[in-house]
Amino acid sequence: MDNTTVNTKRRYDAVVVGGGNGGLAAAAQLAAKGTRVLLLERHNLPGGFGSSFVRGRFEFETALHILCDYGPAEQAGSVRNFLVDELGVDIGMVAVPDAYRFLITEDGIDTVMPLGVEEFIAAMEREVPGSRGPMTRYLELCREVLEALIYLGETKGNPDKRVLRTKYANFLKTAAYSVKEVTDRFGIPEKALKLLYTYWLNIGPPVSRLNFTLWAGFMYKYLTMGGYIPRHRSHELMTALDARIRELGGETEYNTRVDRILVSGGRVTGVVTEYGEEIETRHVICNASPTLAYSSLVYPKEEVPKAALRNINARKYGVSVFVVYLGLDATADELGLATYGYVVSPYLDTERLYESFSRPEAPIIQATVCLNRAVPDCSPPGTCIVTLTGLMRPEAWGDVKPEEYFAAKTKMADAMIDQFEKATRIDLRSHIEEIEVAAPGTYARYTGTYDGIIYGYEPESWDSIIPRIASIQDEKYIDGLYFAGGFSFRALGYSSALMSGQMTANLTLREMEAER
Amino acid sequence: MKFRVKGNIRDMIAFLRLLPRRKKILASAPAVPAAPGRVNLLAESLHPQVQYLRVTAVRDETPSTRTFRLEPEPGSPTKAPAYFRAGQYLSVKARVGDSSVSRPYSIASSPSDALRENFYEITIRRKEPGFLTTHIWENWKQGTTVKASGPEGFFYIDTIRDSREIIALAGGCGITPFRSMMRDLLERDFVTRFTLLYGITSPAEIIYRDELARLERDSSGRIAVRYICSDPDASWSGETGFLSAAAITRLAGGVTGKSIFVCGPPAMYRFLEGELQGLRVPHRRIRKEACGESADVAAIPGYPQGAEGKPCRLTVQMGPLRREIPANTGETLLVAMERAGIEAPSRCRSGECGFCRSLLVRGDVFVVPDSDGRRAADRDYGFVHPCATYPLGDVELRVPREG
Repeated sequence: MDNTTVNTKRRYDAVVVGGGNGGLAAAAQLAAKGTRVLLLERHNLPGGFGSSFVRGRFEFETALHILCDYGPAEQAGSVRNFLVDELGVDIGMVAVPDAYRFLITEDGIDTVMPLGVEEFIAAMEREVPGSRGPMTRYLELCREVLEALIYLGETKGNPDKRVLRTKYANFLKTAAYSVKEVTDRFGIPEKALKLLYTYWLNIGPPVSRLNFTLWAGFMYKYLTMGGYIPRHRSHELMTALDARIRELGGETEYNTRVDRILVSGGRVTGVVTEYGEEIETRHVICNASPTLAYSSLVYPKEEVPKAALRNINARKYGVSVFVVYLGLDATADELGLATYGYVVSPYLDTERLYESFSRPEAPIIQATVCLNRAVPDCSPPGTCIVTLTGLMRPEAWGDVKPEEYFAAKTKMADAMIDQFEKATRIDLRSHIEEIEVAAPGTYARYTGTYDGIIYGYEPESWDSIIPRIASIQDEKYIDGLYFAGGFSFRALGYSSALMSGQMTANLTLREMEAER
Repeated sequence: MKFRVKGNIRDMIAFLRLLPRRKKILASAPAVPAAPGRVNLLAESLHPQVQYLRVTAVRDETPSTRTFRLEPEPGSPTKAPAYFRAGQYLSVKARVGDSSVSRPYSIASSPSDALRENFYEITIRRKEPGFLTTHIWENWKQGTTVKASGPEGFFYIDTIRDSREIIALAGGCGITPFRSMMRDLLERDFVTRFTLLYGITSPAEIIYRDELARLERDSSGRIAVRYICSDPDASWSGETGFLSAAAITRLAGGVTGKSIFVCGPPAMYRFLEGELQGLRVPHRRIRKEACGESADVAAIPGYPQGAEGKPCRLTVQMGPLRREIPANTGETLLVAMERAGIEAPSRCRSGECGFCRSLLVRGDVFVVPDSDGRRAADRDYGFVHPCATYPLGDVELRVPREG
């Protein structure tokens, strides 16, 4: 501000760098425990990928389709427990209707898959007779894996090894394998496998590389707890978190990019903002990726251990997304959009589809959502909101020149709309009142995420949730520096990012305790 | 359930080897920082936070309008003007005396001018309200350095959404984004028919007259330019009157199936609303450029009677800094901050883009209903867009820094 300077250096118990899901959760948890915490975010809004934007009469959700691990009050998931019970953030989340319609055109699949384990198995049996037996056993295994993960959480990483070996042997025996290696043992009919693997779209890497533990936990949680979303888009949850942090005595500042994390003798000593202000702290929770932290934030560079650089180079970057947002001047009923979610693809071969993510062309598989099916009044009377999402790797955009960018986005968006219309025979095109298209570059622009990546590092078995959590202390290269968000140890996803925030905050609190 | 993947012992060994395997993979990777992401570089070149420009040419268009050519300031971080979509604007920032002001100006040149010739052009009318225009008129000369935002705004033709036949309704200085669109569509074949209906009060006011004629001539019939003059002198032989429903239908050859783009002063928007309704143009076929702040808040429907023109105090908390400044119920919160020299964030100045989003800590305000572009949750949690919000008494705001 003009003419006004701050002479005294500000000092906080902890500084959170970045206000995405993970950063907000971490700051809220720290504030709830009475810590003097400051959250700094480069964008002018909280939320990172979890946000919203307004075009004309419509407010669009940026990224969220379903928030897992929230669940109904009577069967609360860990995210609900954390937000509502621990933080006191209860915004009345809306349960997403349970039906997703799968249209795998070359295989002639057009079916609606419900939630609930029994319902899912029954629907699968109707679609693929003979799948009931193997699918039942398979989901039983998924349940065991999820229970083991919950047990590990409850014992805070110090499980009784005997309990693990006796009660959760199947979890141990599958932890080192890919989804494909484990799933192939069940003799699930091919068509049923395709339906099952459609859910892979929520995670990204092909089933030959995706770790089974993460997948099993996700599938079972999803089928039993369903998905939730905030009524007023993700921005509502993020704004509520921001408000709660301030209520609890924490501070949040936006439009304030952190340029440096100061480190001295292997210990965090502060941060420097884009305005040149130096803020003292001994604890930083970084919502930016380790890639950005070790490549450009930690200062001076000599303080970046070689092992940290090896770490970021060893890991594989996950996917970004490509999204077409449509505000339509007809209702979901008028258009015949009967379900909340649609997955449309010509085929379902996760290896081939994954390869296509790197090509500069329209996504082959799309997950499309009609928001009004979950929140009927999310847009004005007589209108509805539809978003079409495809996964995309940064490589697909690496060679695009600025002058080709808008045309490239339009061409891909056009093809996605075509694909949806052909598969469903639903006319979107003659009702488009607002259209916006987000490419990996859009996410890079607003959040600063490395290469526009949303899904963090890919959870192959060696880099999945178990090895990551087991290596937290081993891979803590700088004292006082922890990571939260999709790139951190809980791996990708909204709920994981939120829970990673709670977890890193608790780790930081433990260290503060020890220092006292 | 007893289960194994490759055999009980092999599975357990695989599990026990997970961490050693991880260590081995990590140890074998190179110890170098990651190269800057190519997607980040692309995003930065399209959406720079600031563009450092300099005036390289000044051209009088009419006695009251002037075009400024802007090119990257040599030696600055800006190496090339960011590419954009025809119809977008730049938010120009300047210090005028003790004030810190910004104003959105449509880019009047084409995207390819930026790409190949390295320049933007903006055309500014002297009569426009606000002291930034006056300041620019009096001070911008060849060599003046100018700080601007990246290209912003949503007033552009989208080939998925919009018709291939466009009717452009320009009022006065509202011609500027259409000049960019017309220059663009001569090079790129994305519109089959572009009819410009240019409403003016007097013939002397027409901007780009020769160029518009040239664009029409070179367009192989794709561009048509029609003038309609509300206050003609003896020399005027063209259409007279306003951009009424009847005039639009006649001059554009009907409106059915066409997209209508509107840019002009607020009075023109109010007038056109009824006219376009009468023509039954669907909502999705009408695109309006954001029209800036109103000159007279008391005239806005819903404004509390007699509240205008009263001095009040505005407390601004910005990061660690706090200041109390004078404000007035007849001016937006943004204007009060600018007057006091506070560099508050702003872009569109029409309530639309949300860049100035701030938390109303206490006090009563009036939010212009037509310019209330806030997110639903922001309304619930007490956020306002200061560019479209008027204080009704003493107010405290938490404002993010300029960024």
